[in-house]
Amino acid sequence: MATEVMEVGDYMRDPRKHHFSPYMDNGGTTVAIAGDDFVMVASDLRLSRGFNIFSREQSKIFGLTPKTMLASTGCWADVLTLNKVLQARLTMYSHEHHDVMSTTAVAQLLSTMLYWRRFFPYYVSNILVGLDEEGKGVVYHYDPVGHMEKLTYSAAGASVSQIQPLLDNQIDALNMKNVTPPKMTKELAHQLIHDAFISAAERDINTGDGVIIHTITKEGTSEEKIKLRRD
Amino acid sequence: MATERYSFSLTTFSPSGKLVQIEYALAAVAAGAPAVGIKAKDGVVLASEKKHKSILVEEHSIIKVETITDHIGMVYSGMGPDYRLLVRQARKVAQQYFRTYLEPIPTTQLVQRLAAVMQEYTQSGGVRPFGVSLLICGWDIDRPYLFQCDPSGAYFPWKATAMGKNFINGRTFLEKRYNEDLELDDAVHTAILTLKESFEGQMSSDNIEIGICNSSGFRRLTPAEVQDYLANIA
Repeated sequence: MATEVMEVGDYMRDPRKHHFSPYMDNGGTTVAIAGDDFVMVASDLRLSRGFNIFSREQSKIFGLTPKTMLASTGCWADVLTLNKVLQARLTMYSHEHHDVMSTTAVAQLLSTMLYWRRFFPYYVSNILVGLDEEGKGVVYHYDPVGHMEKLTYSAAGASVSQIQPLLDNQIDALNMKNVTPPKMTKELAHQLIHDAFISAAERDINTGDGVIIHTITKEGTSEEKIKLRRD
Repeated sequence: MATERYSFSLTTFSPSGKLVQIEYALAAVAAGAPAVGIKAKDGVVLASEKKHKSILVEEHSIIKVETITDHIGMVYSGMGPDYRLLVRQARKVAQQYFRTYLEPIPTTQLVQRLAAVMQEYTQSGGVRPFGVSLLICGWDIDRPYLFQCDPSGAYFPWKATAMGKNFINGRTFLEKRYNEDLELDDAVHTAILTLKESFEGQMSSDNIEIGICNSSGFRRLTPAEVQDYLANIA
């Protein structure tokens, strides 16, 4: 490779020496919003490392079952491996059970899988989305070692600091006085996701190029791509 | 365990293709106290005879019908100590499953995993097969299940069955008495009658044990409830 910005890991120890870090930050941002009978999950399409762009067409969203999807960002190698292993576990489950895994079961399984690697973690920020057994939309947010929280909306990845407060304010009417939270609809979720990514792409070099939005309802899934600035 | 010294299995084929140790294990089961299981439309009943060898035995300290999870229960015919081990393993398997999937283990999954354990003991070094057959009942979402697990590791789904002493007579009795429209109460009644066929002496709430499984889950009947059912057949 040509001269590149030194990875943060390289000089974390002694500034005079090279230190190998097994982790790499490949950027990317994901957002998910749940409603009473749908869930929407979106990710940007940029894969990067420092100031270099690896791809402008890399979606960070993986389909697991007809009712469940996983959005993962962070170290792309770990993202791919985690997804591979999770797919294998899903297949084994459906072989043994003659049935597809429920969203809540996948959520718990992912949590235990991440914690198994407590002392050499998957460097991945996960958001699991899906419809629960009653058809209600659910969003599960994870930390790299498997702490899991069930929420109605969440952001993760490079631009999480910019997007999460925006969602807190607009969806739950947090940090405002005399405002009632709106009812969540597909149109509102779509508009929020659209605006959040446009704003994040303005300020964060690791987010941009495009957004892909998946919507899951009991009828099935649909996807949509939106262009973002490519600088 | 003695597995470190023995790398070879003690369960080996005879020239006729039988695994004689398993046949002997089944003989140990057939010599054990009778157990009965009946599946009704709205639940499952497990019943077992609990004859003690001496009148000095504290009957209510021995429990044969055991809870594995809120919705799965188990009883046996054969060797008590072997049974205890399987109960512990079944409970552990169920909790591990819950830890991984945050869902109660489906009855079929528990049966498969337990049967796999029993099969291991027919093909591992230095161990003998379990001397018990298990009757496992469960309620998943909206339907009842009844399974038998044998020392060989084979498992069978049943509508109604008997195990232990006199099991052939028990099964013949059930073939005549069983029908698909039984409700749980009728099934308990029929289970008691089946046990009575091979019972020597007077049945009481001290020497039989009954467990029922329905949409509210699995539980053992109290001696008082058992007494109520017994009163209806006298």
